[in-house]
Amino acid sequence: MLKKILVIVLCLAMLVGVFAACSDKAEDNQEPGATAAPEENTEPIKIGVAAPITDKWAEYGKGFEVATQMAADKINGAGGINGRMIELVVMDSKGDPKEATDIARRFTEDEDIIAVVGDFSSTCCMATAPIYTEAKMVQLSPTASHPDYAGMSEYMFGVMGRQDAEGPFVAKYLANKYLGSEKLAVLYLNNDWGVAAHTNILKGAEEIGLEVVALENFVDGEKDFTATLTKIRQTNPDTLCLVMFYNEVSIISKQIAQMGWDVQVCALGPGTSEQIIELGGEDVEGLATSTPFYVTEEDPVAWEFKTEFESKAGFTLNVHSACAYDALTMVAKAIENLGDNVNREDVAAQLAGMKDFVGITGPIVFTADGDVFRKYKIAQIENGEWIQMTDYDYAD
Amino acid sequence: MYLLEQLVNGICQGSIYALMAIGYAVIYGVVGLVTFTYGEIIMMGSFSAFYYFIIFGDNLVFALIAGFITAAVVGIVVHKVCYQRFLDAPRYISLICTIGMSMFLKNFATIVFGSEMKGMPAFMSGKYIELGSIRIAYMQLLIIGVVIVLSLLLTVYLKNTRMGMKLRAVSQDKKAAALVGINVKTTTLIGNCIGCGLGGVAGVLLGIYYNSVLPTMGGMAGLKAFSAMVLGGLGSIGGAAVGGTLIGIVENLGIAVTSSGLRDVFAFLLLVIILVVKPQGLFGKKGN
Repeated sequence: MLKKILVIVLCLAMLVGVFAACSDKAEDNQEPGATAAPEENTEPIKIGVAAPITDKWAEYGKGFEVATQMAADKINGAGGINGRMIELVVMDSKGDPKEATDIARRFTEDEDIIAVVGDFSSTCCMATAPIYTEAKMVQLSPTASHPDYAGMSEYMFGVMGRQDAEGPFVAKYLANKYLGSEKLAVLYLNNDWGVAAHTNILKGAEEIGLEVVALENFVDGEKDFTATLTKIRQTNPDTLCLVMFYNEVSIISKQIAQMGWDVQVCALGPGTSEQIIELGGEDVEGLATSTPFYVTEEDPVAWEFKTEFESKAGFTLNVHSACAYDALTMVAKAIENLGDNVNREDVAAQLAGMKDFVGITGPIVFTADGDVFRKYKIAQIENGEWIQMTDYDYAD
Repeated sequence: MYLLEQLVNGICQGSIYALMAIGYAVIYGVVGLVTFTYGEIIMMGSFSAFYYFIIFGDNLVFALIAGFITAAVVGIVVHKVCYQRFLDAPRYISLICTIGMSMFLKNFATIVFGSEMKGMPAFMSGKYIELGSIRIAYMQLLIIGVVIVLSLLLTVYLKNTRMGMKLRAVSQDKKAAALVGINVKTTTLIGNCIGCGLGGVAGVLLGIYYNSVLPTMGGMAGLKAFSAMVLGGLGSIGGAAVGGTLIGIVENLGIAVTSSGLRDVFAFLLLVIILVVKPQGLFGKKGN
């Protein structure tokens, strides 16, 4: 008898575990009451947010969640969009294109959602682009930087900048000019973004005659880089450029230290992520990266934003979250410009025509494709902290 | 010279696979069933070491023991839930039950520990022996050493103790073992705990070698352990050790000549080739 009870309890525990894992989604899924009153038009405007809140890119995803909510709160505090409040519908894509497309379908099927801010990775954004395009719905990604993404349709936008600007910057200015590299090795994450990013690094390197002695890749989920690093060390580079995000950057830095290899490391992609320092500890000291945005105390508006973000999120502001804040503000502004006639389709034209927007990350004017060309700063880890080393004029 | 260095990398990684496979072989021997929970048991071992390091500081020996004990305790739970009640039932019932248990443990870990990656402290970072132009990191020697010592201990335990004899008897024939007065239930439980414990230790080594732990790290680890055991011959402990080492070496040499993206291709290609040529595995007995 006792055993039977135990078995039942264990089974229940399993069920609870499974449901608890899905509960976030269940809540998001709930439609609000069907008591719509379109004549008054005081009901909230819904904007979807798709972000990798859990799993491998959680720092960026959580940053999206906090930053977009901050932007929404600020707009709502100032009276909302033409008197209507913004309501965010946040969903967790886990950085998985399969999850991202599911979310895209749910967003497009929910007629109350006007536009979407997200997703984090270029792969997810490019996977969902056809779904949003069919629904004539704007997807404004804070971070997707694949050169082909925004051009996929008139409804796709990105504010992060493009890899065909950042890649050459990394080769010419970060690796060659700043770190003095003459023999560069490149190790990249083999996905849409990684392929675009490293080809542009190679392009930049070729233009200035910087020798690339090794080019290696790995697939997402790889944990053991010893064999690959041994292979790269064989070619004797003076600088190793990592094209990937914070988890892998910190693991690789640790494994480099473990094998006693003394090489300068720079990174494209992770931004000034706090997780790198947390996971990598002493072994990431001296790591340099390019970033389109870095807050210093000289910019009071951004500094205030940074302080508020950090008190809400519990970790240091990174460029990805700042872009998410700007992305939501831009979408809200585009919807505001529509006046009473709020509909999905016209948001795209409003965004494309926006000329005078200045956000936390600087002025944003879209190219014909719907993305942005940015300038970059260099930041480096010194004594366990990110420090800005060069300003935007370094590449002039 | 360069390939020799990759060979060392391969042996090191292979020795972790070998330890996982040895644990798997012990479980397969006494329980007589394939388990799908093994990867999650490895993950639990890894996490116990991670929390041990946070709470008690960086002591590797005790962390390995913590990994062993945690995994063995999880092993008891798995045994009670998945095996004990179904010893006489059709085999697929236990099998499905281990799949369920694996999902439960993975989700449980995601909820309790969080889904993001966690970093493991580095041991003996930057220290290595230089032999000619080959570098062998202390860390790698340590891992290989731990695996060899544990394998020897297990061999002595199985060959020279009364309990070991019981375990071997149960592995060979449960009914005959019961007839000569061996308590099959208890023996199976102990065997399962030892197997899981070895998996837990392998998990700790894996975490340290990769410098990271994740709730989802068990999937591929369990698959590699299973492949290594099948490669060596189902239930053969020596075979599992050889199989694991071989997979590690082939993976690393494969990366040396192509790229890291093809790691698993080499591992499983080796498995397929060996099974085609020798279906019972390298050291498996025919007609079992």
